[in-house]
Amino acid sequence: MALLAFAPPRRVEALLQATAADGAGRFLNAHEMTTLRALVGTLLPGPPLDRDPGGVEAGAPEAIDLLLAAFTFDPPLIHAGGPFSNRNGATHDDFADFVPLDRMAELAWRIRLEGSLGRKEREFAGPVRGLQQIYRDGLAYLDAHAGPTGFAALPAPAQIVILENQADATTQELVGVALANAIDAMYGPPEYGGNRNLVGWTTTNWRGDVQPRGYTDAEVSGPDPTAGGAAPASTATARATFDRFLPAAVGTHTPRALWWLA
Amino acid sequence: MKPSVIVVGSGAGGSVAAWEFARNGHPVVVFEKGRNLLPGLGSKEGLGRSRFSNDEVKASRSFENPDPILEPRTGRSQREAQQGKDRTFVGDINGLPTTVGGGTVHWDAKVPRFWRQDFKGLSTHGPIANANVADWPLTYDDLAPYYDEVEARLGVQGDLTKMPAATLAQAPRARPFVMPPNPPMYVGTLLAEGARRLGYEAYPFPMAVNSQTFDGRPRCNSCGFCDGYGCAINARGGAAVSFLHHALQDGVELRTRCFVHRVELSPDKKRAIGVAYFDADGVERHERADIVVLAPSAIETARLALLSGVPDRSSQLGRNVMFHFFTVAGALFTDPPHGWRGPSSTLTLDDFVGPVKTPAAKAAGIAYLKGGICEVGGSIAPGPISEADFYTSVPGTWGAPLKELMRTAVWRTRVAGLSMVGEDMPQLANRVDLDPAIRDVYGMPVPRITYSAHLFEQLASAYFGPLAAALCAAAPGAVGAGFIPIATAGELTGGFGSALAGPSSTAHIMGTARMGDDPATSVVDAWGRFHGLENVYAMDGSVFTSSGGFNPTNTIMSLALRATRHITGGASTLPAAGAPAGTIAATGGSRATAIAGAAAATAAITLSATRRTASHDPG
Repeated sequence: MALLAFAPPRRVEALLQATAADGAGRFLNAHEMTTLRALVGTLLPGPPLDRDPGGVEAGAPEAIDLLLAAFTFDPPLIHAGGPFSNRNGATHDDFADFVPLDRMAELAWRIRLEGSLGRKEREFAGPVRGLQQIYRDGLAYLDAHAGPTGFAALPAPAQIVILENQADATTQELVGVALANAIDAMYGPPEYGGNRNLVGWTTTNWRGDVQPRGYTDAEVSGPDPTAGGAAPASTATARATFDRFLPAAVGTHTPRALWWLA
Repeated sequence: MKPSVIVVGSGAGGSVAAWEFARNGHPVVVFEKGRNLLPGLGSKEGLGRSRFSNDEVKASRSFENPDPILEPRTGRSQREAQQGKDRTFVGDINGLPTTVGGGTVHWDAKVPRFWRQDFKGLSTHGPIANANVADWPLTYDDLAPYYDEVEARLGVQGDLTKMPAATLAQAPRARPFVMPPNPPMYVGTLLAEGARRLGYEAYPFPMAVNSQTFDGRPRCNSCGFCDGYGCAINARGGAAVSFLHHALQDGVELRTRCFVHRVELSPDKKRAIGVAYFDADGVERHERADIVVLAPSAIETARLALLSGVPDRSSQLGRNVMFHFFTVAGALFTDPPHGWRGPSSTLTLDDFVGPVKTPAAKAAGIAYLKGGICEVGGSIAPGPISEADFYTSVPGTWGAPLKELMRTAVWRTRVAGLSMVGEDMPQLANRVDLDPAIRDVYGMPVPRITYSAHLFEQLASAYFGPLAAALCAAAPGAVGAGFIPIATAGELTGGFGSALAGPSSTAHIMGTARMGDDPATSVVDAWGRFHGLENVYAMDGSVFTSSGGFNPTNTIMSLALRATRHITGGASTLPAAGAPAGTIAATGGSRATAIAGAAAATAAITLSATRRTASHDPG
């Protein structure tokens, strides 16, 4: 692993393949990676729980590990470059050329990832637990609550029950962080190490970045039946989703707190 | 030698001020707390390749935004303040980009003008109980020429022939738009038809987006990563590319990663002698100048003035902070309206600006309600990450159900609508002060925001929301519609700490140093000069006396230009109204601003001979 330290981000893909063999990540150890894969596989499931590739197939656990190990790269794997990837007409993938952090941005991201670690210069607003600690502690906590076999070996329904426990603050802290990071990894640009084979975009019928091509005037101004989701929603499904996320929808019940609507 | 100037903040107000001062021969140093993410800015070669991109991850990782780890803000409601709580939230509160160009680096570039009535709220519509309604010390007509000039430099698109008569009566225009509108977004066309069916009138949204090559920057290609994203091809105008770029070419000095934490006052506290700041290495330094302009945005201006001990005879400093009050409405469409293709929205609608008098308002003791301008069309979740974040804001939404939601993508691909920028009443109890305990990375007290909505905007949201939903429902292909009084919902679910705080955040920050003629009731005068200080000006959203129902940046820029022009005595860069149009649109480099005529050209020659850097006094 030492030889891989400070590898240029352009080699992220090769690194991911190389590290997959022994199972260890660049920050998390092999067992932690196994637990993280089980966690991500539950939060964003692939086959057989879901018919499309999920977070594990997208490489989200490895991408999360890369984020935790962002400072073993130079520049750190925080902000992908710009303006264009090579997916829409440009020949060079600028996204792969990560943007260097300056002194202040590096301090912020070291605090976010490593925590304040009791250092005065990092605790101007109080102590901060870093993402590395949240993952390390959280994954160990999941294991401790899974019985002797560990979390990863549990059947999927048992994993779901553990993760669904809203009363368990430690678990929910990990779920919240891992879900947000897994979503970024699965549905964000692949240069961050996830979204392998663009499964996050192909399964949702999302084009991703579109520059420098952009959209034509006709694509902007006219109808396009192919612009929908990957699975066209029935009106009933769509309506159910709509209602769930639109609590104040006209014609449905009025939340009691909004007394002036009554 | 012209007086030297320090400008604090390189955003909307600061860049315009720096540009106008530099044009007229003043030595200017601009201090910017953030990085410069715009390669080539100010260079003779022109803007380089953008570092911004179609990247949802980068946009969420404090690339251009302030990092709340370094610069947290704290918040609480009015009730919590009354209960003696110092704060109930620490994190991001309406943070605007901390980078060269400020908020306009990733703004939506919508540039409506305020209306006549917005400047004269008290005398036109009367008081509102428990709100600090006041007239501005200027009128629409005072500001109109500066709107013209700012819009000419930004390269604003629009279509005068399609603007409603009521809008033009309230905000008359002496000149045509610089360029025609972008191709209309399909979703906007659908919703505009819904509007037409109900008797409303949608029209092309005036915006600082290039529909054609302008000022050395290309035409917009409708990539859709617009509001909240730096432009990947520099097709959007803004403070940095439209003003500061040219000011830097004219010799303005820009110091990045320099945080001004104190305006240094003379012993008699009647004038500023300069500023104290931390440089990029964290070393405290001092700079002297004859004029100090504060333009770090309303929250930071209040904080800086409080940190500096600026005299506050009116006790209004930091008070009357306003944010605008979002209401969103959406329709479910049978066919995908692809609301992510285009510059967030291409149409707007003024029918919900108000005022209206309703029985509900009367029952609540409020004489009238006002809403605001609407963005017509646009996706509520323009990308899969923002879509997933929306779904997962409902606790426990993950696993196979989340995958199914993402696959069917109803919210991203089938729902689209409009958002209303509701007027936010000024209240004395809504204020920015210094947090008693929390410090930022520089060791300085962070701004604390105490805020609760007034019944006025809650009622307005509840009143106009169903009308907006009805408009959505009337759109061709709509099979259901609804609205969310999202700012109200945010307050009811935890305020600044709510999961809805992000979606309900407008990043429109106004008030805290309101302008007025009377030093007993206002902080700055009609030119932004602090009452009681000879040479300190506020030139950002802090000076707003009311918030209007319109995106504020055009007004911030125009007020800054008006105030600076008052100091410089310079000439307009526009030909007299009625002269052949299009002259400005054809110009390129900064020196081309001299097209105003021989007088301006002479001034430009003079300034190049007198330029110097303001004195530097290493602390």
